[in-house]
Amino acid sequence: MPLLKLRESQIMKIHYLTGICAVFFVAIHILFRLIMPFGQSLEFHNVVANYHNIYYVILLELILVFISIHGFNGLRIILLELKQNQWWESTITILVLAAMIGVIAYGTRTIIIGSQL
Amino acid sequence: MGIKPNSENNSSTGDDIRLKSGREGLMGWLNPTRYGWERVSYWLQRLTGVGLLIYFIGHIYETSSLVNGINAWNSMLELTQTTGGHIFLLLVIGASTFHTVNGLRLIFTESGIGIGRPGRPDYPYDATSLNYKQKSGIWVALLLATIAMLYGGMVMFGDVT
Repeated sequence: MPLLKLRESQIMKIHYLTGICAVFFVAIHILFRLIMPFGQSLEFHNVVANYHNIYYVILLELILVFISIHGFNGLRIILLELKQNQWWESTITILVLAAMIGVIAYGTRTIIIGSQL
Repeated sequence: MGIKPNSENNSSTGDDIRLKSGREGLMGWLNPTRYGWERVSYWLQRLTGVGLLIYFIGHIYETSSLVNGINAWNSMLELTQTTGGHIFLLLVIGASTFHTVNGLRLIFTESGIGIGRPGRPDYPYDATSLNYKQKSGIWVALLLATIAMLYGGMVMFGDVT
């Protein structure tokens, strides 16, 4: 029985959608680094000021979630191309999901604390 | 006359056995020879994807130094805002641009756009799906990645904002 009750075609649609959305959100994220000289935009006070902007915080969280889903599912696809059997598929899916949740949780912690600085 | 069985022509080596069993493993995945640009694009898409995932995790870790205050943040910047750090960032820009543009090509391809009509497989058996549109897409991805790297280089090393 497959671990996830999603068909592979549905997972691929999620993969493509998260990828396309991530491109737009990352473009905005990069623009925030280019509204002033690159080095200056990375100064502590400028970065903290970004974290106090609620729209930017939402954008960061969306980037975090979308790229995590897209990236870890991509890794899962690569690993499933190398070998196929039920045990391998289930193990990889569990590990990838755990890593994805861990990265999202760690990044969300930074966003929450950063917005309160 | 005629073709002799393979066993009479050659002695089987380990590579032959591996190829015959169809199990080339990771080396088969990485081997760009015997294939065209589509194969290069296939593994570049995967290598850039894995590279970007590693960078993404590193970037989240790097950014988390923000919560430890200005000194921790500046220490992290001293590590990353160097010539080596900027060159690494240029590679990330190139990889992300290629991955994006080639990924869009793959989405179109999976939707049936740009692969042409199915045709009878005549000699020399070139697949109709591997046509100039697909090849152009790969070249456009490489070209845009180069342009993005040049612009990124001007921003990081020059005065362009």
